[in-house]
Amino acid sequence: MEATREIYWNIGQGVVIPMYILALAAFGVMAWGFRQRLPIWRQGRALNRFDRFDERVKFMISEVFSQSNISRVKDGGVPHAFFFWGFLTLFAGTMLVMLQADFFTPLTGVNILSGGFYKGFSLALDLAGILSLLMLAGLFIRRFVTRPKGLEIVKDDYIVLQLLFAILITGFLVEGARMAATELRQNPALAVFSPAGLLTGQLFSSMTEVTLLVTHKILWWLHFALVMGFFCAIPYTKLRHILTTSVNAFLAPLEPKGTIATINLEDESIEQFGTAAISDLTWKDIFDADACTTCKRCQDRCPASATDKPLSPMKIIQQIGELAVGNPSGNLIETVSQDALWACTTCRACQDICPANIEHVNKIIEMRRNLTLMEGAFPGDEVRTATSNIEVNGNPFGLAYASRADWADGLDVTLMESGAEVDLLYFVGCYASFDNRNRQVARSFIKICNAAGIKIGILGKGEKCCGEPVRKLGNEYLYQMVANENIELIKGYGVKRIVTTCPHCFNTLARDYQDLGLDVPVEHYSTFVNSLINDGRLKLVQDPEPFDFTYHDSCYLGRYMDIIDQPRGILAAAGGNITEMDQNGYDSFCCSAGGGRILAEEKLGSRINIARVKMAQETGAPLLVSNCPFCLTMFEDGIKTGGAEGQLQVRDLAEIVAERIAA
Amino acid sequence: MKILVCIKQVPDLESRFKPNAEGVWYNETDLAWRMNEYDEFAVEQAVQLREKLGEGAELTVLSIGPERVVEAIKKALAMGCDNAVHVQDLAAATKDPWQIASIISAYAKDKAFDLIFTGMQSQDRGSAQVGVTVAEQLGFACSTTLVGFEYDNGTITAKRELEGGIKGVVKIKTPALVTCQLGLNVPRYPTLPNIMKAKKKEIIAIAVADLLKEEPLATTVSFHPPAKKGSGIVLEGETGAMVDQLIGILKDKTTVLR
Amino acid sequence: MKALLIGEYREGKLLDSTYELFGFASQLGAESALLLVGSADQLPAFGGTLYLADAATCGEYNPDLHKKLVLEAVQKENPDYIVFVHSSYGWDLAPRVAASLKTAQVSEVTAIVPGGFEVGCCNAKMRRTVKPNSAKAVLTIQAGAFPVLQPGGTPQLQKLSAEGTAAVEFIGYEPAEPKDVDLARAEIIVSAGRGVGKKDNIPVIAALARALGGELGASRPVVDAEWVSHSHQVGTTGQTVSPKLYVACGISGAIQHLAGMKKSDFIIAINKDKDAPIGEVADVLVVADVMQFVPALTARLAR
Repeated sequence: MEATREIYWNIGQGVVIPMYILALAAFGVMAWGFRQRLPIWRQGRALNRFDRFDERVKFMISEVFSQSNISRVKDGGVPHAFFFWGFLTLFAGTMLVMLQADFFTPLTGVNILSGGFYKGFSLALDLAGILSLLMLAGLFIRRFVTRPKGLEIVKDDYIVLQLLFAILITGFLVEGARMAATELRQNPALAVFSPAGLLTGQLFSSMTEVTLLVTHKILWWLHFALVMGFFCAIPYTKLRHILTTSVNAFLAPLEPKGTIATINLEDESIEQFGTAAISDLTWKDIFDADACTTCKRCQDRCPASATDKPLSPMKIIQQIGELAVGNPSGNLIETVSQDALWACTTCRACQDICPANIEHVNKIIEMRRNLTLMEGAFPGDEVRTATSNIEVNGNPFGLAYASRADWADGLDVTLMESGAEVDLLYFVGCYASFDNRNRQVARSFIKICNAAGIKIGILGKGEKCCGEPVRKLGNEYLYQMVANENIELIKGYGVKRIVTTCPHCFNTLARDYQDLGLDVPVEHYSTFVNSLINDGRLKLVQDPEPFDFTYHDSCYLGRYMDIIDQPRGILAAAGGNITEMDQNGYDSFCCSAGGGRILAEEKLGSRINIARVKMAQETGAPLLVSNCPFCLTMFEDGIKTGGAEGQLQVRDLAEIVAERIAA
Repeated sequence: MKILVCIKQVPDLESRFKPNAEGVWYNETDLAWRMNEYDEFAVEQAVQLREKLGEGAELTVLSIGPERVVEAIKKALAMGCDNAVHVQDLAAATKDPWQIASIISAYAKDKAFDLIFTGMQSQDRGSAQVGVTVAEQLGFACSTTLVGFEYDNGTITAKRELEGGIKGVVKIKTPALVTCQLGLNVPRYPTLPNIMKAKKKEIIAIAVADLLKEEPLATTVSFHPPAKKGSGIVLEGETGAMVDQLIGILKDKTTVLR
Repeated sequence: MKALLIGEYREGKLLDSTYELFGFASQLGAESALLLVGSADQLPAFGGTLYLADAATCGEYNPDLHKKLVLEAVQKENPDYIVFVHSSYGWDLAPRVAASLKTAQVSEVTAIVPGGFEVGCCNAKMRRTVKPNSAKAVLTIQAGAFPVLQPGGTPQLQKLSAEGTAAVEFIGYEPAEPKDVDLARAEIIVSAGRGVGKKDNIPVIAALARALGGELGASRPVVDAEWVSHSHQVGTTGQTVSPKLYVACGISGAIQHLAGMKKSDFIIAINKDKDAPIGEVADVLVVADVMQFVPALTARLAR
């Protein structure tokens, strides 16, 4: 007997037209649902997210089908991926059945669903169904029984989980009923390729033929109705993420990470800066709210959230969604709260882990822009003072700008104003220029360059704060003021290459300054030193004394610039044995000082830097190595205030290298 | 109601000061400039009053000095002043308080100002004379060192800061001049739209020679760092060693550790 | 040489700073007359001419009438110098007198030097020597800059009175916020300045104060930032103190602060900036980060 099955068995060909009409109606309801969301998204400003089309499509396909991003977090993510693949298989199988029944058979008479292929097809679909059911059960237990902290239960969760269970179960029951009446009697050898149907078929074995046929028909229509219900429910429940989250992968920003729209301060027609209301957002910002699945991963990784501050990136996205639907003219900043906005360290952990490609950080920065540029607001008086210090003296400490290069007295460093030839410009930054602890890092870097025979130039007293902290706090005006002065100076000296010891200066000069016309290659010293070692220009001592350490990836070097392996490579070459913290690399936990928070006191919740120092302590390593002046400052402080003195020491990568240069 | 606020641009006090070639004031090289802190309180109070009075009130900011003081004027405009006057004087630093006050009075005397705000003193010169002298020259009522200000229909209720945390409450009637002290208010940070608007506002330039007819009453003959106290010991170096040294000194020279 | 000294009353009491005027006049080598707007039952022991006006009729703070009284005394006395204390009373009244006489005024004199008077400037970081060009000159002297001198003797009283409408109507005094600490009586004061960095660090300074058995003081910015309550403020707007030991932690030494603590017997300053003005009055200047040095010192004292 041929291995195949009669499609529309017991239902009859007559069902085809009503079935397609109903299906079309369901798709119509779905389309109508999304159509209703359109005016909500359209409240936002214009933004082109349809450029680089091919690139976007490719990214979307790989994101959706690989499930790579969502499975980065095992809990919830892995079951979701398997459920997705299972359900996708079932969907594809159903499509194939449809093609066979309504296209191939009437048009060509060829039945591809037969023989060996049918056996494989049947087995694959049954296994996919079983897999989906198991994963769904797992997700059900996670949602309602084990329930990880912060995971909310909403009405949608009941609807969606019940619907999916019902679809899978009725599917198997239809299969079982059909098999009980057909395969199990006529071709038991084939039935083994439908293990689930074989099992559910037993339920119907005792039924009379007539009852069985009626039951099958009822189940078939029930299953069909549930599936149609599923389509109808998509736009009105969490299921919308099937489309919105996938589309959001297409809409993902393609610019370098950390790109913030540069405000044209020459444009006198602009009267409103930053985001205060829904209409100030872009349509993509509002769409993000529909793409959010409240998976809370952003919230789990948010350093502010983890230290009991009133910030949850997820909540902000949700609040945007609620306001856009319910009260579009409402005050967005009040809804989100200033405390939440100022608490963000722009560490990008939320955005990095988001499986829906939602852009949290720029929304926060845009709202801060409104507070700063339209209201003259600050997170605290200390920030007001620091801002005014940057205005007057070009550094947040308010120290005399003329003393900026004092740290380099007696070192082999060239002042650019002398006109002497140099290999590269070292953009020192405020902390390495003025802060005693970080001056040691600057000196170490100079020692490294001297040993490698690199001639270093500095801008001296002409250098100003790169503007990063104030930009992240929303003060675009002051940022552009100091940035333009730096750029003019750098261009004036005809600089060909820039190295920084600060990841914040690095990001700002390398990426942000491009919009203002600086087009010089900029590097962080970690990759620069790495290439010096690889080129053989810098020789470290042979057989260095081994040391144990743990390494902190600064946000702006790791997550923003993808520089994760090179610093570890250098430290390994210097004799280091690393013990990683749980949160490392892309999962690193902020030191607390990003987003301009370096200028602010941390008044709410517990201290982020102490939390991070504790994580470092838990590795058992006596040494914490970082690569950023802000991190170094926060950890020096965290070690003291967190009571880790004598157990943990923090040092910069440059200091470790400088001590191990071959004589 | 016409309001005038007088401001001075001063070097940031974190700067290192060196005498100029004449040895009578500081060398301006390498100095960072900002609005005199006390004048920021004056501008803020003037702007608050101007906002409260609304239409019909007019607030003018005045500053004396070389071209650089325009930056301070722009900040005052961005904070909310309506008009600006720049008395151009390359040698403002050589003028004594009497002359500076005379310049302001000469400008203000026929302008029918109801109220003039100044800082209580400048951070660099610190003579605390100009405001009161202007009031005397114009015949205005005057109160100094304000940490509280209320205005109601021509009457000002002012809180003066006295020694030891005590405050003196006084009332004066316009036309009046008040000098402002730390604690009066928190000066606003100018918003970007106001900064943009300020850029377009006209700054009326007046040559100092048109206003100044007075000779100085006092002359600075020398500008120099203070003599170091002879007995001062300076400890530098490693923390532990310094602690030991300090304990030694305390045992040696004071009775507190006995 | 003649000096007309202008003493000061508040709430019926002659202020001690009046005796600093005698100290100044003595350094100047001037013959002194004194003007007081107060009451006859509280007169200083002083052998010269005392022009006395009644505060009950002229008010303790009535710049217009007080100016008239000073000008009247000037006419009678014809002094070379009219000397005030640089206080909320002096800096308010002196320019009014100087403007009326069209004489030079030298503010906040810290020393008498050849060729003129030395005054502080640039937040006490620098000094100027100022020479009056007019025949007479009005001077205000920095509180605490000149020694207290009680000349003794019985004054020759000359009563003055003034009438007229006052442009400044005095309503009354508002008391200082209640104190939870009496710094004026403390033998040891450890003060925190802006250099301690943040509010969280105040306990570190307080711990040193405890270890030394003293009180916690603070500079004005620290009080303004509400890191410490006003009752702890040392300086001309807070309390003037003279303990046996004063430890200034992270205080750069704004003039108002220096004036409030420089009479301390022994002053230790802990500051990162070697050139900070606090170094001028300090017996020991520890060049260090406050948050590094202070805990180490406290720990050592606890041993």
